[in-house]
Amino acid sequence: MVVIELNGISKSYVTGDVTTPVLHGVDLQVQRGDYVALMGPSGSGKSTLMNLLGLLDRADAGSYHLDGKEVTTLNAAQHAEVRNETIGFVFQSFNLLKRMNVLENVALPLLYAGMGRAKAKLRAQELLDQVGLAALGHRMPNQLSGGQQQRVAIARALVNSPPVLLADEPTGNLDTTTTEEVLGVIDQLNREQGLTIILVTHETDVARHAKRLVRLKDGRIVFDGAPALVTGELSEGPPRASSAPSGGSDPSSGGAWGQYL
Amino acid sequence: MNFGQILLESFRSLAANRLRTGLTMLGIIIGIASVVLMLSVGDAVRAFINKELAVLGSNQLIVQPGTPTEGGARRRTNEAPTLTIDDAYALADLPSVRGAAPGIQGFFQILYGDDNSSSTVIGATPAMFAVRNWKIDRGVALADADVRSANRVIVIGSNIASKYYYQRDPLGLVLRMNGRPFTIIGVMAGSGRTLDGTDLGDLLVVPISAIPVVMPRPRTVQYIMAQAKDETLMQEAEDDIKELLRDRHRITGEKLDDFQVTNLASIAATGEAIGAGLSIGLGVVGAISLIVGGIGIMNIMLVSVSERVREIGIRMAIGAKPKHVLVQFLSEAVVMCIVGGMIGVALAALGTWGVNSTGKFEMELSASHVMTAVFFSTAVGLFFGYYPARRASKMLPIECLRQD
Repeated sequence: MVVIELNGISKSYVTGDVTTPVLHGVDLQVQRGDYVALMGPSGSGKSTLMNLLGLLDRADAGSYHLDGKEVTTLNAAQHAEVRNETIGFVFQSFNLLKRMNVLENVALPLLYAGMGRAKAKLRAQELLDQVGLAALGHRMPNQLSGGQQQRVAIARALVNSPPVLLADEPTGNLDTTTTEEVLGVIDQLNREQGLTIILVTHETDVARHAKRLVRLKDGRIVFDGAPALVTGELSEGPPRASSAPSGGSDPSSGGAWGQYL
Repeated sequence: MNFGQILLESFRSLAANRLRTGLTMLGIIIGIASVVLMLSVGDAVRAFINKELAVLGSNQLIVQPGTPTEGGARRRTNEAPTLTIDDAYALADLPSVRGAAPGIQGFFQILYGDDNSSSTVIGATPAMFAVRNWKIDRGVALADADVRSANRVIVIGSNIASKYYYQRDPLGLVLRMNGRPFTIIGVMAGSGRTLDGTDLGDLLVVPISAIPVVMPRPRTVQYIMAQAKDETLMQEAEDDIKELLRDRHRITGEKLDDFQVTNLASIAATGEAIGAGLSIGLGVVGAISLIVGGIGIMNIMLVSVSERVREIGIRMAIGAKPKHVLVQFLSEAVVMCIVGGMIGVALAALGTWGVNSTGKFEMELSASHVMTAVFFSTAVGLFFGYYPARRASKMLPIECLRQD
């Protein structure tokens, strides 16, 4: 089942008189339960693509079906609703709200979805339990380590049970040990609950966790295939025609997360 | 996102920047305090004027000699000896008039035993007591016989009685006015300032025939105080008085009156207008400071929005709709204004209490003024908070997230 389908997505940035094209008619299909690593050199357009996928930005041209629904024509409030219900975000810089404690941070998407405070906090606590931070709910974000903060961010991203998790260099600010810790959580979410994951990274080591690698260069997809085919940053394997994911568990089979999906 | 959550977040982010919040609120505090105080001052002035007018007596008209010309030359009212005691008696018979009393007053040296003082003394007839609502506390008022025989008797005010006859009964005692002995026959009740600046308690009243003032012509008087039957008849009484006096003074056609009638209802109305004008004028002063405070709110909210662009981006990324962002910032502005407004009202209450404790002026904080203040502070918050909040809500999430 296709959860994300991009057709001819283009985007340029205008600075004064200069127009800089960033994406040139990108087509991309992502199946439910897939685990995609998005790579490419700086300026290749991977972050822009990520922002468009997450409805944080609008494309200039092309269509975007998310969970079977065309979303490019929606207004700002509807986009907010889609972000709230369908997409979970994890950022490189964690992006927790510093004036709220951990539990409140995790509960916030539920409040925007209209849930009552008490119920939202219970649900947030469940998520904290699952990322192994059950006891830290009352800490403030700046009292946690980077790895812990990123796990809180993952809990927040998933609290409203979205089918898709977008992670923009989630390990970029972390050391090797905590990188493995955070990737472990993400891998597990994909493996056990069939959560669709798209992850932007610079590092091949990180990309190896994914089932599928999409490489961008100058605003075009130049490689789409299994990460095992990539041996180094510069090597390019043969492009893969099909976008069908390899393996991946059935989303309905669940695991600990399944009940929320 | 429910109301409680929005309020909680507003208080939290305002508390995160206490000094800035406090300084911003100061503008609103001062604005609201001045609006409330100014409205109260206006009210107090109005009440004060009404009280003074009440002391003077109600439904009164003052008839004075002289021509009521506006602009141009006009003889000073008291110089033209046109009003007589007989005019007063004639006016008293008008159907719209309850009473009319002639008066002559002068400034004399008074000797109370060993004490020496200078005071205004009023020469009057018994009618004056009725017209000016003077009450006798002890003894008696003037009698017609006193006027007829020019008896040297005097009625004194309560302040004079307590000042010069402390713990003594002044009745029957003799004081000297310009050397002539006058026997005290009565003490008046009450005190309080009258419109001409003298105190009711400081009055000295003698028969009009016994006052040692030399009038230019016999039986002429300085003024006549008249009282209309009731307040609805004030204008009618004024017209009747004019007609009768023109007739008695043989003034016909286009010729100008040789007297003028001052209607105290119009003075009351003037007083009322002064109070209302004062309320409006001072209210405007307060409103201006409130607007200045509001601009401060707007300024700080704009700063706050641009400082928290990233926070806005994060909130949008996890599902905050534009309206959520709008409400969040708007509620911060409104909370600041309402809290500031309440502190302002408290400050105004303190100011009122301070003024009252001096005992010179009476002010009260009326509920309607407090309501006005609360209403205005909310309105200021909404008005000046809307633009920054709207600006925040219109931002694109990616633009917010890109900023540091």
